[in-house]
Amino acid sequence: MWLPILGLILGVSLGFLSDIHIPQEYGNYLSIAVLAALDTLLGGIRAHLQRVYDDQVFITGFFFNILLAAGLAFLGVHLGVDLYLAAIFAFGVRLFQNLAVIRRVLLTKWSEYRKVSTTNTSK
Amino acid sequence: MKRKWMFTFILLIVGFMVAVQYNTVQQPEERDTRDSWAIRNELAKERKLHSELLTEVRALDQTLGKYNASEGASAGKALADTVHGLYQQAGMIDKTGPGIVIDVVPSEESVAFGTPLHEVSPELLTRFVNDVNRFKGIDMEIDGKRVTALSAIRDINGETTVNGLPVSLPPFQIKILSGDMESSEKLYNFLQSSSILDDFYLDDFVLEIGQPQSEVTINGRIDKFENRFLKELPKGG
Repeated sequence: MWLPILGLILGVSLGFLSDIHIPQEYGNYLSIAVLAALDTLLGGIRAHLQRVYDDQVFITGFFFNILLAAGLAFLGVHLGVDLYLAAIFAFGVRLFQNLAVIRRVLLTKWSEYRKVSTTNTSK
Repeated sequence: MKRKWMFTFILLIVGFMVAVQYNTVQQPEERDTRDSWAIRNELAKERKLHSELLTEVRALDQTLGKYNASEGASAGKALADTVHGLYQQAGMIDKTGPGIVIDVVPSEESVAFGTPLHEVSPELLTRFVNDVNRFKGIDMEIDGKRVTALSAIRDINGETTVNGLPVSLPPFQIKILSGDMESSEKLYNFLQSSSILDDFYLDDFVLEIGQPQSEVTINGRIDKFENRFLKELPKGG
């Protein structure tokens, strides 16, 4: 549990300390990539909770989604269609769905845990 | 265990990306939005400053050279020269040079209508002084009162005063010295076309601007400067 959080903190501090700036015109791609990464991450957590997690699916999904989203945005810029909106929409919806599933799974686990503890104490 | 490391790695990347994105959004690269004209203006300003500084350095170099040349023999004279120059710069002593003389007189209309003669208001005089001060290196005297950087033109008990001394009712004279005849010509032409003439006319006065003359004398300030901050060094110190 603590190791992933440590990784997150390390990544954030690395990003701040390195003081890297992305040129304004590439800002869109990065924001979409961040969204795709978050989506994959939540998907991974959900799969873990539902016990269907697979390493390969997770890792390939992570990089593939990021590349695809950025590529879609790039294509959109060159076609004159705001395709990145489609990516934002798709990832946004999935993000919320994943969050909802995670919440439900956690709720179920919590209520089960409570049931067990109340039966233990009543015995 | 492997899964944990995987998540750690992915979170590291996500954190890094978020931080970079945050950096980019928070500190957009500062853009230089000046156009070539604004840059040219700025360049001109800097050039002017450069030239002024050079002039100053040259003047100081000359003073230094004078001190060095006259070491021993007439060091006192060089020092006196410097003091004299400083007095002149501060407007404490009389000065003669090329300049113009302006007569402030009541307008013919006001005389014809019999309008009572009144003083030139401090606001109008200040406006005039400000207008003339566009030209650099000028010395001015209003009705015999020397105008320096420390002069105040104001109303004291209903009287218009310069340096605390009342300005008489028109007609009186304003004398302006400029460095050379060329500048005097420029000043003369500027004043001839200046809107300050209209301002005076609205107050029933006319400025009769005389032709540039090669020799105009203006008075030094009568009162002494109040020295509040500089102290004399003890002798031999």
